[in-house]
Amino acid sequence: MGKTVLICDDALFMRTMLGNILKQAGFEVVGEAENGVEAVDRYRELRPDLVTMDIVMPDKGGIDAVRDIVQGDPDAKILMCSAMGQQGLVVEAIQAGAKDFVVKPFQPSRVLEAVQRVLG
Amino acid sequence: MDTSRYVELFLSESREHLRVLARSLLGIEAGGGREPVEEAFRAAHTLKGMAAAMGYAAVAGEAHALEDRLDAIRSGTLGVDAELVDELLAASDRLHAALESTATGDADPHGTEGREAEPAPTTPPPGAGTTSDDLGDLLDDDALAALDGEPTPAARILIAPSAPLKAARAAIICRAIEKVAAIASCEPEAFDDAFDGNFRLVFEAGEDVAVIEAAIRGAGEVQAITWETARRVRRAAPAGRASATEPRAVVRRVRVDQTHLDSIAEAVGELGILRGELSSLATSDTPVERVSEEMGRLLDDLEHAILGVRMIPVREVFERFPRVVRDAARASGKDVRLVLEGSDITLDRAILEEIGDPLLHLLRNAVDHGIEAPEERRAAGKPPQGTLLLRAARERAAVVVDVEDDGRGISRAEVLARARREGLVDPGTDELRDDEMLRLLARPGFTTREAVSELSGRGVGMDVAVSRVRGIGGTVALSSRPGSGTRLRLRLPLSLALAPSLRVQAGGEDYVIPLNHVEEVVELDGAVARQRGREVLRLRGDVVPLVRLAEALACPGGGGRETAAVIAGGGGGRAAIAVERLVGREQMVVKRFDGPAGTLPCFAGVTLLGDGRPALVLDPTSVLGREGKG
Repeated sequence: MGKTVLICDDALFMRTMLGNILKQAGFEVVGEAENGVEAVDRYRELRPDLVTMDIVMPDKGGIDAVRDIVQGDPDAKILMCSAMGQQGLVVEAIQAGAKDFVVKPFQPSRVLEAVQRVLG
Repeated sequence: MDTSRYVELFLSESREHLRVLARSLLGIEAGGGREPVEEAFRAAHTLKGMAAAMGYAAVAGEAHALEDRLDAIRSGTLGVDAELVDELLAASDRLHAALESTATGDADPHGTEGREAEPAPTTPPPGAGTTSDDLGDLLDDDALAALDGEPTPAARILIAPSAPLKAARAAIICRAIEKVAAIASCEPEAFDDAFDGNFRLVFEAGEDVAVIEAAIRGAGEVQAITWETARRVRRAAPAGRASATEPRAVVRRVRVDQTHLDSIAEAVGELGILRGELSSLATSDTPVERVSEEMGRLLDDLEHAILGVRMIPVREVFERFPRVVRDAARASGKDVRLVLEGSDITLDRAILEEIGDPLLHLLRNAVDHGIEAPEERRAAGKPPQGTLLLRAARERAAVVVDVEDDGRGISRAEVLARARREGLVDPGTDELRDDEMLRLLARPGFTTREAVSELSGRGVGMDVAVSRVRGIGGTVALSSRPGSGTRLRLRLPLSLALAPSLRVQAGGEDYVIPLNHVEEVVELDGAVARQRGREVLRLRGDVVPLVRLAEALACPGGGGRETAAVIAGGGGGRAAIAVERLVGREQMVVKRFDGPAGTLPCFAGVTLLGDGRPALVLDPTSVLGREGKG
């Protein structure tokens, strides 16, 4: 039985791509979220082993979502998904409790390395 | 920002970095590989940052230029040769000069000027009010800038150049560390887009380095971790935070102006003399004697304590020698390896300051005249590179410092020939012992009157070096074997208790009078009169009893004609102590002594004169005791 993952991104394309990378590595995608509010709700509901979190999302951004999730579960394992040029936001997310990050465009090997670090 | 209060700390820390820089530049030349380059680069980089923080643009500029050159070496675009090292050393000298002149020119290096210029805080700042807060404020204003933390572990971390968002990676690393250890400081302080992946963390003392390293590695994308020791400046707990919950904020080390230590040591020396007087006044089994004995014990403790404070590792002096030896070797076409041993041995700072120059002379002489040129060494069946050993070792109550070379040794025949020509030895002498040779070489100018290649420099400064060492109560011994080398052994006392003193002569002997008893010194010019059968001196209308020192001390054969009188006072009255000659004012190393039974009770101790002879320290109040009460 693979580890469970919740994918949070407002772009379906990104969710799909990331989901494929993780599925190929044996993860089970148990849920998806299109914005921060949904991400926090789904996390509480699903308690996944891993969360991937986009930074810029409507309604509630990824950083605020990280803050809320970590408040409820300090051990939450959240991997930030960032674009180049968002370094300051990534730093902020890490300070809020995210465990690691990957940079778009995603390279499967880099994603899996980061996932290993987060879960390790 | 008012930076004046940080000047002293800035200077002392910068000098440390400059020492590291000098050492690592020599390491680069010696082919030490990557490590000295990295070390030199970090030193220049840190200096640049510190100078910029102080607003010293010139210093920061010099450091920046140096950093650029070192970076080029680091990246392999600049090859290392002796000329480049010369250039880098010159740049480091310019940096040093810029640093000293800027910092001392801009502000009082002790920082007192800046502090005095600030209005005295008459009311505690808001939030303060309790005693502990007041203490915190005091520390903050007066001492904090000069506080020095204990050595703590520090890690320089290099994030893999290929890693994206290095600032975010650094943040992850810091988070990972914070789970296992406390980070005391981080450089740079914040990670932004300009962050290049190279940062340095300082930890609290006692943190487990292995655990931290595992945490750093676990955070990923780390290329290299280099551990080093940092001296961390401790900030006291901010006002309002009780120190009880923050035991780490307790100040353990304080950086103190050296002159304070000197004056404390001097006062202890004078107290010792007073204590000697007290014990001479005390008759046995009286309360005074008990007090005097107790005081003696406490004084011993005090002397030990102050001595401990003044002890400094010889490294402080040794560190500048690799550069000196390198320059001397390059100038004379020699290949010399300097080996330092025992750099951790500690010595009284005053002694350390005194031996720096003598050691410099001895090392230079060894390079110039002891160690042969490579081809000459080869011809003699020696390795072309000469070895010069500078070694400190503790030996009972002394420290022994050896300067030893594996050069050609001193030519006894030439020294003997010269001594004969100058009539310094018995014409019948045909062999010189080592000690006789040293005595000749240490004669001022012995070897400089004529250019004798092997010897010309041996004596230059040798007289100065030997007399300086003797002046602090040390000894020098020479042993030299033709063809295999020369060793000079300095035996130094561990402690110095300095007292300003007046050196006089009576009955042909030198005596020392502590200056704290001396009111003035007058010429004896016929103002001596007799009153009620005693000799007195008329001094501006006063009549002062006159004591002829040679008589008072019952010098055998009496004294010569007295020319001056020392007006000594204290306790019971004044007396004019007539002496044959005033030699001068000196800083004396006074050792208290318990004279053998029957010793006149007028001596407070013994000292070594500049030429190594012992002299008794006179307690003038004992003379007053007998002569002053008329």
